[in-house]
Parts: sequence; structure tokens; C-alpha cells
Amino acid sequence: MAQASAATVHAHEHGSHEHKELHGVLKYLWSTDHKVIAMQYLFTGMFMAMVGGFLAYVFRMQLAFPGKSVPLFGYVSPGRYNALITAHGSIMIFWVAMPVLIAAFGNFLIPLMIGADDMVFPRLNRLSYQVFLLSVIVILSSLFVKGGGFGGAWTAYPPLSANAKYNLTPLGSSMWLMAVALEFVAFLLGGINFITTLMNARAPGMKAYDIPMLPWMVVLASIMFMLSVGPLIAGAIMLFFDQNLGTGFYDPARGGDPILWQHLFWFFGHPEVYVVLLPAVGIVLEVIATFARKKLFGYKTLLYTAAATAVLSFFVWAHHQFIAGIDPRMANIFTVTTLIISIPIAEMCFVIIATLYGGNIRLSTPMLWALAFMGEFLIGGVTGIFLGASGADIYLHETYFVLAHFHYTFFPIAIIGTFAGFTYWFPKMFGKMLNDTLGKIHFWGTIIPFNFIFIPLFILGLEGQQRRIYDFQNFPELQHLQPIRILATISLVVMLLFQFVFFFNVIRTWIKGPKAPKNPWHSNTLEWTVESPPPHGNWPPDQMPKVYRGPYEYNHPDREDDYWPQNIPPEREPTPSPAR
Amino acid sequence: MSEQDRDTHQHHPDYWKIYVALVILLAISVVGTFSGILWITFIMAFGVALVKATLVAENFMHLKWEKVIAKWVLGIALILMVLFFAGVSPDIMKDRGLQWVNNADLAATARGIPDEEEPEKGAPASAPDSTKAAAATQTAAAAPAAAPFSPETTFKTVCAACHGPEGEGNGPGAAALNPKPANFTDPAFWTDKTDSVLEKAIRQGGASVGKSSAMPAWGSILTEAQAKQMVAYLHTLKGK
Amino acid sequence: MQTPIATTRSATGIPTGRLAIWWVVASEIVIFGGLLLSYVMHRIGHPEWAIAQAHTHTFVGAFNTFVLLTASFTAVKGHEAAEKGDGKKAAKFLYLTMGGACLFILVKSLEWTSEILEGYTIQANGFWAFYYTAAGLHALHVIAGAIVIFFVARDAAKGRNLQRVEYVGIYWHFVDIIWIFLFPLLYIAK
Repeated sequence: MAQASAATVHAHEHGSHEHKELHGVLKYLWSTDHKVIAMQYLFTGMFMAMVGGFLAYVFRMQLAFPGKSVPLFGYVSPGRYNALITAHGSIMIFWVAMPVLIAAFGNFLIPLMIGADDMVFPRLNRLSYQVFLLSVIVILSSLFVKGGGFGGAWTAYPPLSANAKYNLTPLGSSMWLMAVALEFVAFLLGGINFITTLMNARAPGMKAYDIPMLPWMVVLASIMFMLSVGPLIAGAIMLFFDQNLGTGFYDPARGGDPILWQHLFWFFGHPEVYVVLLPAVGIVLEVIATFARKKLFGYKTLLYTAAATAVLSFFVWAHHQFIAGIDPRMANIFTVTTLIISIPIAEMCFVIIATLYGGNIRLSTPMLWALAFMGEFLIGGVTGIFLGASGADIYLHETYFVLAHFHYTFFPIAIIGTFAGFTYWFPKMFGKMLNDTLGKIHFWGTIIPFNFIFIPLFILGLEGQQRRIYDFQNFPELQHLQPIRILATISLVVMLLFQFVFFFNVIRTWIKGPKAPKNPWHSNTLEWTVESPPPHGNWPPDQMPKVYRGPYEYNHPDREDDYWPQNIPPEREPTPSPAR
Repeated sequence: MSEQDRDTHQHHPDYWKIYVALVILLAISVVGTFSGILWITFIMAFGVALVKATLVAENFMHLKWEKVIAKWVLGIALILMVLFFAGVSPDIMKDRGLQWVNNADLAATARGIPDEEEPEKGAPASAPDSTKAAAATQTAAAAPAAAPFSPETTFKTVCAACHGPEGEGNGPGAAALNPKPANFTDPAFWTDKTDSVLEKAIRQGGASVGKSSAMPAWGSILTEAQAKQMVAYLHTLKGK
Repeated sequence: MQTPIATTRSATGIPTGRLAIWWVVASEIVIFGGLLLSYVMHRIGHPEWAIAQAHTHTFVGAFNTFVLLTASFTAVKGHEAAEKGDGKKAAKFLYLTMGGACLFILVKSLEWTSEILEGYTIQANGFWAFYYTAAGLHALHVIAGAIVIFFVARDAAKGRNLQRVEYVGIYWHFVDIIWIFLFPLLYIAK
């Protein structure tokens, strides 16, 4: 059926497969190849991760050793401290998690996993990256303009963000807003591309339930992003006018309302958490199914719970505003919806555990990352229950407890999930095998310090330490907690230093790593049927893959091999059924 | 070409007819404004807008013949906007918080701490005897509603917490407040206040007239007429 | 650049270009939805804005509605012609649509000029802030539509990419629908 409809396209749209391949520098500036664009997103995202990590190092040093000059940076003034935490938050979410998890993995894997030669709109894809690059330039330069970078936190609540009188960064705040808006435009363009590609460009024979989990998750995330970001774009325009044209959209003295921004922001901001979560879950699922050598337990259950998460995530946004003065009746409703959303997430966890149960588990580096994702994200999820309940939130809000909670969700998503995917698909992306021992050193060197950073912060939060404070020396009742702050900072430095193991591993592999075979992990999905790295156009035009079965047929009783790739025609059936 | 292309493409209704209908509808919505009656204007404006939008979407955008998935895509976006409105409007539509004042609690505050051992004394002392008996038979929560309105009692029970029993701005709640509550005995207070401003401040809160937002909005327990009486009572405090 | 094989596939039965346009429309619905609903909430919360709103020119708004409806009509006639393979006729209709867009912008700028000269700037009051923001965002879409329509029409006149006449039409009708709601919100519901 799919085959039939693939042929039924506009005749004038038919093109041959041989679209132009660019070489040299031009390739990296002007290519429309989805793999090149994925690499652009990946490396830009990794660069921004280094920037964000450096910012975290600087302000953690200030908190641990207040008033001392920070090595590689210098003295941290209060205004600069605010700019640092704001840039760290915005960069890690908008310029690290989104480009790497959605754009890089989505771009690289969606066409490969569904058996297409490219995205459906290659030039739109290129435009998406170019707009994204522009946003990167704007956000980075905003840190160096006159007045300094924006210091109103990544949530940018007015009136602080709306008026230079209050934030003292007339240029920085507008540039921050523009960078975020450009980033949204880039991901809207990319998202439309991902969604239409998955909906229309699947290989012949690939039905909805034959699609691997990662494309599903990236596309669900793109849909959520697209539908939630609209009100915030409108809100950003209003905030921009407040900053630069002197309107009063968020100024209560002039008939506006600052709470409106909070609603507009969190109507996007909460689904955004799940926008980055779902692709990470997709990566973890692929890795776990491959290394447990077992069929994914409950493919449809997973898909439905992911969809339920996507839908529910639109109903919970106001739990960020329990102490903002919203209608208390709404707080009741949002408490209930927030607690309900833990059900599909818990169900996902159980599906993963059930997949592991009885599996033939291979503890390779990607698998370690995937398992760590489960364990760490669970801590993040469970502490979220305290914050979702409006009564408890009144006490915990704006403390380090909140901070530790969302780092226990975002770190597994953006860092652990990314490393799981990166180590898993590295052979496909670069054609070389990473060193497993170095990978494991890097893994333990990241995971252990990570817990030593954020478990202390939970304790600080319960002791009543507020977020976004430059120097705790002024709070005598918090003085005795200084050793905990120093512990967290030292752990952070250790964790950052261990990242050099990773870079060393990548560079070493690049230079003299062993060449990767087509399918090093004996995986089923279509991306493992092309060369490593895949050539332009992925498959030869006359050998585009056809799909005969679901993506997770491991250890099938009728097969000698313990895996059964999607594109291998059934052996015992000489004539494929006409429906295929 | 295939079946499916014919399905979606060969439907071309008489666009002239639809166009004429749209223009007539536009004329109706403009004429509606001359009726001067609010609800007619509204129905004419937004009802007609809905009809026009449906006509354009169904026929010009060919949604009528499009695959169902496209309708889902647009439908979900529209449903989300309904959700957005439902979640946000309670805060933004009435940003003074009038709609989520807890009337039962306010009434309890106005009565002072309800003396549960002696429910028959729930009615204010100044109430006439005839209503006293009636009030005593009612539950404590309903009692103030039954009692006739007395600006002095209301002031003593509601306002005095901050403004002080004599209106000097020195009630027990005043210590924590900055700016301090208004002192009604101070002649300087009366130099720049009209009665209507004071009524607004009472019913819609201090923020509504550019004063401290610590002054709550009492519109849910005081009618406009009662607010007028309150202002008249405030005048009697002047120069005491 | 040649079209990749992926673009020519159609698992949903909707051509890829049209499917993408539906998603564009969906994302625009939430952008305009967020802005217009914010306006509606504020407007209900501020009855006093009616005084400011009384200064909008109903007939100018009505005339602009008429212009956009007409432009939508010509766009769909262009689509009909393109479907019959008549690129020249389709282009002619599309140029008419583009003319409508230009007329709309012209009327709008005259209207805004007179309002600004009367002192009703974007800073004047909450209503005027929403008025200029909402109508301005819509006007940007009209301008963008006019530019895209120009390129599509130029191609269509040469008989190329005729399917795009429909896609750009869908976008244009959506811009029209937004105005259908903006008109009563800003001009009629006083």
C-alpha cells in the first residue's frame, strides 16, 4: 500500500536521485545533506555545551569561594553572576539539549531509520541550521555588549526583563530575546521537516508500528514544540515591544499583567521539558533493545504512553507558578494534572525494566549510559512529585531543591542521553569504533561526580537556601552549609575534567581508531544497512530498502542469528505478500 | 495520476457563490454595529466571523475534501488554544484577583473570630433587635449577609486591622506594611482624593488607583452603594 | 538541486508540500491564537479600553476585509486554473491576489498614519499596544505572502511548479481567516 502511494506523486515533482554533492569548505557551509546538517548541529551543540559548562564552573567557584578571583575568568561581580546563570540556563536548554537531541540525532537518524535518502525539504533543513547559527552568534555576542549579558534568568520574567531601568542590560536583554526567537524559528523550520518526513517519506512497507522509537520520539517532540511555542512567540514580541517601544503589556501600572508572561512562557516551557525528554527516551530505547538483545516490551504501550505524556504535558504548566499569585483553584487543578503525568512516565520506566528482564545484556558503553539515564532520571522524576504538589511547593519553590530536581531531569536528558546516543551511533556517524575502556572511564568519571554535585544541592534546598543568590556570606543562618557548597563545586570541576577523557577518546579514534563495520552492534534498524559513514544519498538509488517487519526482532526463535534486520525479506516466503 | 489525486483535486465548487456569500456576511457584520445593542453586535461580529472562516477553510482551503489527518492537525492546534484560554483567563481576565476571593473566609474575617460557644451572638451588636433574632437562627456564615449593612461595624471589623479602629492608619497589621495604610484623620489625606477614587480603591483594591496593592479589593463583599456608605463614613473620621 | 526520492513519497496520501503547509498553518494558529487570546483576556478585564477602541475606523477595517476576501477569491481561482494546467491564467489570478495584498498594506499604512497623527501611538494605552501588535504581525504575514506569491506566480506563468499555486493559496486563505477574526476583535466589538 505504501509502495503504491509512493508512486502516486506529482509527476512533475519526480527527480532523479543524483542531487549534487558539495565538497570542501562549501560542503560544511552550504550542504543540504541531512548528515552534514546533523554534524553541524552536533558540533555547534557540543561547542555550546562547553561554553555552558564553563559558565557553570565560574559561578560554582564564586559560590564555593566567594569574592575570590576565579581561575581562567577573574572576579565575578553580582551583575555578571546573574548574566552567567542566565546564559548557562538558556544555553544548556536552547542551544545544547535541543540542537543535539532533536536536530542532530533527528537529522542524522530520521532519514536513515525510515529508509529515505534525505529529508523531504533539504533546503529548508539548511535554512534551519543557518538561522540556528545566527541565534548562536547573537546569544554569544550578547554576553559581551555594553551593559553586559542579560541577567533575568532563562525564564525572563517581567518586569525585570521588560525594562532596562530594572535589569540594567538595555542591549543584553533584547539580544537574548532575539536569540531565543531565532532559535524558535530554526526549530519550527526543522520541526516541519521532521514531521513531514516521517509522515510521508517512509520506506515502502514501513507501517506506523514498524517505525523505530527514535524517529517517533523526535517527531512527537517536534509536534509538541510546534504547538506550544506559538503563544511564547507572541509573548516574545510583546516583551520585545515592552523593552524597546515603550508599550506596557506586562506593566500593571499601565493595564498590563506580568503574570501573562509567566503563563505564555510556561505554556511553552513545560512541554519543552518533554520536548527534550522524548528524544532522549528514544535513544535510550534503541540502545536498550539492542544491548538487551530482546524485543522491546510493549512497543505500542510505549508509543501510547509517549503520546499520553505529550498530551498531558500541555495541562501542567501552571505548576511553575504556584507562588506567583495565580488563582488558587487553578493550583488545585494543576497539582492533580502534574501528579497524573507521572503515570505515563512511570509506565515507560516499567517497559524499559521489562525489556531488560531476562535479556542477554551486554554492558557496553552506550548501554551503561542508557541504564544510568534510567536511574538518574528516576531521582529527578520522584523529587518532582514534591514540587508538583502545590502545598509542598510553597516551601520548596525557588530553593536549591528545585534546582537539584530539574538538573536531575535535564542532566540525564541532555548529557547522559546524548552520550548514550553518541557512543551508540558513533561508528555510523564517523566510521570508526570508539575505545570501550576509555568510554567506561569517562562514564564513571561523569556519573559519580554528577551525583556528588546535585545530591548536596537537595540538602541545601531543604535547609532553605534560595536560588539565584550571588554570595551566601550575607546569610548567617546559611553559613554552616559552606562545606556542602564546596563539595558540590569540587565535584563539578572533577566532572568537567573527566570530559577531557571523552575528547581524547574521540580524537584518538578519529586518528587511529579501528574501522567500523556496517553493523557493529548487530542491530535491526535500517541505518545499520548502509556503509559507515553513509554516503551521500544513503543507499544507491536502485537499492532503496524495503521493510518487512518491526524494528526490534531480536532473538527470534526461527532465526539462527539473534537479530533480524528490518529490510531482510522473509526467507520462508518466496513470494512477498502483495500487501507489502 | 492516481485515484487519490482526483479525490482531492477535482472539487471546485462555484467560487463566485461563496465569494458573494462572504461579502454579504461582511456587510451584515458591519451593519450589526449600528444596532447599538451590545449582544446583537457581538453575535453579528463573532458569529459571522466564524461562519466566514468556516466557508473559507472548507471551500477555499479545500479542507472539505482533504484527508482527515490534516483536520486533526488543525483541530489539535485549535483545541490547545481553548486549553490556553481556560488556564490563563482566570488570572488575566480579572487581574485584581476579585474572582478568587474566598467569600466565606472574608465573611469570617468581617465577623471577627467566630465565637462558636455562643453562636447566637454571631450577629453584630449594632444590629436592630428584630434582625438579631432572625440572624441568631441562621448559621454563622450566613449571619452577616442577613444583618443590615453598617459602615461603622464594617470599618471596625474589616478595615481596622490595618487602618486602625479610629482610622489613624495604625492598626495591628500596619507594622508590616510599607507604604503605611492611609490615615483618614490626617487632613493631608483628603486634599487629593475624590469620593469616586476612594470607592474604586475600596472595591477594586489599592492597585486600581495607583496606590499600594496591599489594600485588597473588597468588591466581592461590598456593593457599590455600600462602598459609597463606607466613603461617607470615612468622611466622619476626618479631623476626629 | 534535484528533488530527493524522499520528497516524492507520500505515505499519508497528502502531497508532501501540502502536508507541510498544514503544519505551517497549525503553528501559525498557535502564534496568533496566543496573541489574540491574550488580547481578549485583557480586553474583558479592561472595560475602559472601549474608549480607546471607539477611535478605530470601522469602515476602513471593513474595506480591508473586503480586499482580503477578494484576494482570497482570486487565489482560489488561480488554484482552479493551475489544476487544469493553465499556468498563465493561474499566474494572472495570483498577480491579482498580490495586488490585493499591496492595496491592503496601502490602506493599512494610511489608516495607521492618521491614527498616529491623532496621537494614538503604540504607547498610548493597552488597547493601542495590542492593536498595533496584532495588526502589525498580521500585516507582516500579508507582506510575506505577497512576496511568496510573486515568486510562485512567476514560476507558474512558465508552467513550472504548478502545485505550489495551491500551497501558497492555503497559506493566503489562512492569513485571510486571521483577519476575519481580527476585524471584529479590533473594529467591531467596541
